[in-house]
Amino acid sequence: MIKFENVDVVYPNGFRGLNDINLEIHQGEFVAIIGLSGAGKSTLIRAVNGLVPYTNGTLTVGDTVVDPRNKSKLRKLRSKVGMIFQQFNNVGRISVLNNVLIGRSAFTPTWRSLIGWYGSHDREVAFQSLERVGIVEKSYNRAAALSGGQQQRVAIARVLAQDPEVILADEPVASLDPPTARKVLGDLRTIQRDLGITCVVNMHHLDLARDYADRIIGMRNGEVVFDGATQDATEDVIADVYQRPRSADDATQVQGGAGLREDAENATEADLNGPVTGSGNDSERKDIA
Amino acid sequence: MSTAVSRRSTAPTPAQERNRPKPPTPQIPPYLGLAVLAVAAFYFFFWTWEGNAVLFFPLGDTLLWVPRDPMIGLILMLVALLVCWKLRVSPMGAFGGLAIIAITYWAGSNIHFVDRITEVPRRLTGGNTRDQLVGYFNPDWTYLLFHNVAGTSRPIWGEWLITLCMAVVATIIGCFIGLLLAMLASPVSSLNRGTSQTVKAINSVVRSIPDVGWALLFAAFLGGTAYGLGALAAVLALIMFNIGIVAKLLSESIDAVQPGPLEAADAAGANLIQRDRVAVLPAVMPSFISYSLYVFELNIRASAALGVVGVAGIGGELSRQIGRMSQGYENVGAILWALVLVVLMVDLLSLWIRRRLL
Repeated sequence: MIKFENVDVVYPNGFRGLNDINLEIHQGEFVAIIGLSGAGKSTLIRAVNGLVPYTNGTLTVGDTVVDPRNKSKLRKLRSKVGMIFQQFNNVGRISVLNNVLIGRSAFTPTWRSLIGWYGSHDREVAFQSLERVGIVEKSYNRAAALSGGQQQRVAIARVLAQDPEVILADEPVASLDPPTARKVLGDLRTIQRDLGITCVVNMHHLDLARDYADRIIGMRNGEVVFDGATQDATEDVIADVYQRPRSADDATQVQGGAGLREDAENATEADLNGPVTGSGNDSERKDIA
Repeated sequence: MSTAVSRRSTAPTPAQERNRPKPPTPQIPPYLGLAVLAVAAFYFFFWTWEGNAVLFFPLGDTLLWVPRDPMIGLILMLVALLVCWKLRVSPMGAFGGLAIIAITYWAGSNIHFVDRITEVPRRLTGGNTRDQLVGYFNPDWTYLLFHNVAGTSRPIWGEWLITLCMAVVATIIGCFIGLLLAMLASPVSSLNRGTSQTVKAINSVVRSIPDVGWALLFAAFLGGTAYGLGALAAVLALIMFNIGIVAKLLSESIDAVQPGPLEAADAAGANLIQRDRVAVLPAVMPSFISYSLYVFELNIRASAALGVVGVAGIGGELSRQIGRMSQGYENVGAILWALVLVVLMVDLLSLWIRRRLL
């Protein structure tokens, strides 16, 4: 379905985001990509729909070769490839329904978007997408007024309104609390399985990746260092991806700061991952810009 | 809470004192450099002082580059440096303060600002200031409500309606065109960098010609400032004025839009127009409404200023009344007070609309 052949991404500032990637992701797979911040996870995902242009090699989605230079072909490709973001990226000031209708952009004449008069078919698709993620009753609420989990559902509905063949998700649950993260990811998994959509998800939470993904890809310094079924991703393999024994590192931290011991023991997973994901995302943004 | 406060001591312990960082002190050498700079500026002022001017630039009756009383400038600059030192301003900030004082001093002395402003009390007591003030504070409301424009059968209050109509038309057309230009001017929403730069250049040309300038231009293009064309020239001038303001302010708002939703629209395969409509426009809508209401208020005021050029509306009447001065103080007062009232009302109205809409 998605095929990377010797794909490189070199940013304009000379930074090498991806280095000679060879990958094949099959129809209907749910793939989790793990790795440290700056390992190239976002770059990999964004190369697929051309948000980050790759500089070398061949990248194919379905039958089409991704061509970052051809805008109209890229738009056609993007109509089939939905994307979900860490910060939801909903337009806060407009209604949930209008946010979902953004997903219909590629199938709607420009003049209809311009005056905001979407056809009845588009509206039906949008409503059905909202029903699938279970927040149809919020259709006419402002998107900014919803909670984080609901906002991410709106984003998923927006993507479903595209009738996508592929869903790319760039750390979709990193800014949600752990129970909500599980619920949202679970919904995404169910929808993906029901509709047979190929799903590529960036993740920081290892246990979430283990629980939901069919296949795990580990990345380091722009290269794939692990690629295998979820059950093959053992502790050793993960430690190799992250280049450090996770538990030992955490242990030294607790020993080092005596005054922090209490906090460290009570910390939730989100507390531990939160700051890391935040800063990591910032640095990746800078690279992309 | 209360226990924490009661446990607080008034002075830090010696151990705490040792641990706390000292406040950063600015480096002395840069400040010495700045003092030298101040003296150098003083020397420049002294060198070009009227008494022993070597360097000056004659412009008819005016002399440029001949500051008055350079000592005052030096004292002001040194005091500024001292204050900056006391407030621990960084050398760069102190340099900024120094530059502002030196340049202001130099510019002010070139137009003999201090000399002229000391003449003001004498001018105020000498002329007919008292009559004017009495006139302005005893506005003739009957003139405003019941009289006609001199030599016509049009009532004065009707001129207010014309002014409002001009402002409405100019605001709606100007803001709409301004919105389109702002979209084209911001690199975030524009076609490409070239378009953005070009439209920005056009915008700055539009903005650099003042509203009175546009009114004169349009009056000249359209032939004369007769009553019919007067309103048209004024409306066109206001439209250009509004385009300049809205395009500038709004394109800066668009520059600051959150990039996330734009990326989401891109990723959904939206084209440029769709992206601007669904992701950019909603994000800048509150700013756009604010700017439009502000521009409407500006238009009412500006149309009074445009009266000097001889266009229709209350501005024309105002300039006619100012022209006949010694008989018209009460009338001018009535128009000006009414202007204050109208602008205040428009301000309240826009506040209400803003609350409703945003």
